[in-house]
Order: sequence, then structure tokens, then C-alpha cells
Amino acid sequence: MKQSEAIIERVRRINPAYQHLELAVDEYMNRIKPGQSLLVKMGEAWHPYLREQWHPVSIAGTKLVIERPANEHYEVGQVVDIFGMVGQPIRFRRNLRNVLLLAYDTPPTPLLMTIPWLMGNRVSVTLVLVGTARTYDTQHINPEVEVIKGDDDLNWQNQVMTVGWADQVLAVVNPDDELTRFKKVVARFEERRAIIPQNYLFGIFTSLLPCGIGACHACMLQTRQSWALVCTDGPAFDLTQITLD
Amino acid sequence: MAIQITRSGKNPLILETPVMPAAGTFGFGDVYRDLVNFEKLGALVTNPVSYEPRTAAHGARVVKLDSGILIHTGLPNLGINKVLRKYRNLWSMLPLPIIVHLIGTTPDHVRKSAARLDEEEGVDALELGLNDDISADDAAEMIHAATSRTEKPVMVRLPTTDTFTIAKIALEEGASTLVACATPRGTARDPLSGKLISGRIYGPMIKSIILRIVGQLANQFPEIPIIGSGGIHSPQDARDFISAGAKAVQVDTLTWIQPHMLEQIARDLGGWIVTRESGALPDEWHPAMGDTEKKRKNDIGYDEDALMDKLRR
Repeated sequence: MKQSEAIIERVRRINPAYQHLELAVDEYMNRIKPGQSLLVKMGEAWHPYLREQWHPVSIAGTKLVIERPANEHYEVGQVVDIFGMVGQPIRFRRNLRNVLLLAYDTPPTPLLMTIPWLMGNRVSVTLVLVGTARTYDTQHINPEVEVIKGDDDLNWQNQVMTVGWADQVLAVVNPDDELTRFKKVVARFEERRAIIPQNYLFGIFTSLLPCGIGACHACMLQTRQSWALVCTDGPAFDLTQITLD
Repeated sequence: MAIQITRSGKNPLILETPVMPAAGTFGFGDVYRDLVNFEKLGALVTNPVSYEPRTAAHGARVVKLDSGILIHTGLPNLGINKVLRKYRNLWSMLPLPIIVHLIGTTPDHVRKSAARLDEEEGVDALELGLNDDISADDAAEMIHAATSRTEKPVMVRLPTTDTFTIAKIALEEGASTLVACATPRGTARDPLSGKLISGRIYGPMIKSIILRIVGQLANQFPEIPIIGSGGIHSPQDARDFISAGAKAVQVDTLTWIQPHMLEQIARDLGGWIVTRESGALPDEWHPAMGDTEKKRKNDIGYDEDALMDKLRR
């Protein structure tokens, strides 16, 4: 874990709701992997108090591309204080051919970094947007990604086929009540698949991370064996191994 | 620099620097090692530990406030036996005293935990955390349970309610130090779930509340050392606590936001800042001091920064 500074080199509006920031970062930061994020502080003021969690969506040369809501104001040349990298890279299964990304009532931003990585490894990707995630504009996403928009109740077209066809699923849900929502996702997959094998259905946890380093234990999850921390062991967890009750 | 932060007794605790992290903000010594030089800290106060394992709180645990946060973690931990097994070797290698924060659950559990910690060579002191709503009788029983079973210093972290009554009891029951205070409790609405969440409040705004308590405690109980804890966000905040009568300070959530500040405060209060060699460049740890900067400007005969500004314009 390191603390460093980065400079915003470019601000680009990608759709009415989101913008992409190109950050010139320290060299080590370019080694960031899908799943890892940054804790960022802008300026010296104590409001907002907590560092914001920024999810990179791609690496462009020596720059990290970050997706932020369009209603937040950033300027070229602005210096940001970065604490990272937070979390572990997502563990992809070997011999992957098809991956299903699922965003439920939340933007798919924490999942997007996986797309260039998977495409680069000739893995086909389907992005399913359900609930409020349907409002997410996907025009900037690689056209080779199949985008499916479902309903408010975790249904989408060809659900049985997409669930059966996927070698691995990565899901992100609204952090208002992550455990309940992930439980609903698991239940839906159990209806569509006879058995959910280990290392198949992963939840990407996006709970608030006060310290990001494993000191505060505010992001602790109960696992079948013991417990785990989202900030140091996550953010991706096999949902069959997490106690969701 | 050597500061005794406990009452004189069999095992006084003497620190090199009067600055340490507060319980619950710094893990067990296994984190922040890349970001903070432990040698510059006075001691390490561990995350809270209970006799039996505790699981994390359900639902929302963190709510953002204006210039602060509210946290309710449920004090999850592995229980004292597993914690000792896991961290014993690490603590013996760290270059600073270890203070284990013990959660005051029941007198029996505190008694057993204190006895357990008394045997641990790598543990230098206990900090006993008391429930905010604890009665005077229960507090007396709890503190006695700890002090009667260990020869090591027992520091009592006071709640912000009934602080002075509990402080008097702690003094009578043989506590070696008062830690003032556990941060106040509050309730806030979680904007994500819409639910009201209760927990401890952290942020710069609580400093004034606790600073007043520290001043009053120092006046009322001059015979016992006080550690000020709550809302410290700068070296000046820490110095304010020392001015109010604290022997040492604990830095809480600032470490999460600006990890290097804990070390900077420790260097500041530990006297490291004023040991620069004559003619040194401005100290990276304390640019505000600036005397060497002024000296440099005098030596070169003009204000380099002002000249550069003028050229840029």
C-alpha cells in the first residue's frame, strides 16, 4: 500500500451521467489489476471526510482512466492524493471462455476494468444491467460486449442460457444492503442452475472503506470458515463462501 | 525524551514519544508498516479484543457526516486467545510498547483476559474500554476485575457520559492511567439504506468536547496521568491536549485519511522536528516551521519564491 499523488490530465464526458478522468499516476500504479481500486482525497479540507473510492475502468498507456459521476467537478491539472492500490485482483478461472457481468440497481463501474482485460484474453463478455442499472448508458463500452437490459426483478432475456453459458459471473449490487441483494442474486442463480460450483458466482463488494488497509474492520464479512475484509481480501468474494444471512 | 504515562508502581510504562494510535484505528500492528515508521510512535494500542470472539455488526456500519463519520462495527475480533496466537510473534518484534485494548464485556471475562495478558511478555499494558452506559457499580467491578489480576498497568478509557464519576472510581480501583475519552455516540441516517444508525462519531469537531474534559480531569485528578484522545487532526491539536494537561495523546481516524500525519504528530511532540542540523533545507515533516527557509533566503540575499512568482507573472 502506498500513498502518492496523481494529476488529472483529461476530463471527458462519456454520457450525460458519467465522465472519464485520465490520471497521470506513479509508475507502480499502472500495475493495477481488475478488482483493485484507489482511495482518493481531493484538497486539504475535512469535508468530505472519508477518502472516496475510485474504480479505474481501463489503463490508457501510462494513465489510469477513472469513471466518476458527471455532476462532480474536476479540472485538468488538478492534483489528487491517492492511497492504493486497495484490494486484491479478481481471481479469474482458468480456461475462461465466457464471462457474465451483472449490475443490479447500481452502475456497473466496478466491473468495467475487467472488460479490456477479458477481451485481450479472448474471453467473450456479456454485461447484464437490471433494476436501476438499466439507465446506465453503454455507448462507450466496447461494441464486442453483449449488453442485455433486464427488469427490476433480476430477470433478463435468455436468462437460463446466459447463466448456463457463463464460466464465471461477477456481480455488483447497490451497497444499501449488499448482503440481502447478493442473497437474492444467489437465489436467482440457484433457480436457473442445478448446482452453483465454487469459483463461479462472485460478488464485488462496494461497501464504504474508512481505512482501506485492514485496520478498522468496518468492512468485515462473515465467511463459512472465519471472516474476511473487503478492503484487503476483496472486493471479489465467491458468494457460496460468504454468510449472507 | 522519556515520558511516564502511568502512575508510579511496579511496572511503570515509559514512552519515548507521547503519541500513539487510538484503539480501533490501527489494527494489531500488522498494517500501516509501509506508511508509518513505528519507531517514531510512543506505543501501539491494538484494536479492541474481547475474551470471546465477536462478529461484525449487521447492516450499515459507516455513515458519512459533515466533516466526520459515524461508525458502528460491533467490535469484531477473534477473541483473546486467537488474537494472542496470531500476533504474539509480531508484537515481540515491533520496536515499541504494545497496549492491548480490552473490551469490558463482563467482569468474569475481563478477569480471565487480564490474567491471560499478564502472562504475555510482548504485552506492556492493558487499556480497558467501558460501555458508555455503564453504572458506577459495574464500572468499579469491571476495573477491579482487571487491576486485581495483572501486575501490568491498566489504563481505563473513559466514556463521555459520567466521565468524572468513572474517573474517580478508576483511580480508587487502581487504574494506572485515564484515557479521555471514547468518542461520543450519535445517531445518523444512512443515506443508502434510509435507516437510522447509531455508533461512535469521529472527526475534527469532537476535539473541542474532549479537550474540555481533559482539562477538567487534569484539574480534578492531578495524581493520575491522562491520555487525550479524540479529534486530533494536526500537530497543533495534539499540543492543545498536552497544554490542557494530558501526558500523551492518541490519534484516531486521522490515520485513515492521512496516514503520514500520525508519524508527523509523533515527530512533532517527540522533539524530532527541532533536531535538524543547522542550515538544513526546510523540514519535509514540518514545512510550517520555516526558520531554516528564512535563513536560506537571507543567505542567498533575495526571496527566490517571490522572484519566481514575479517572473511567472
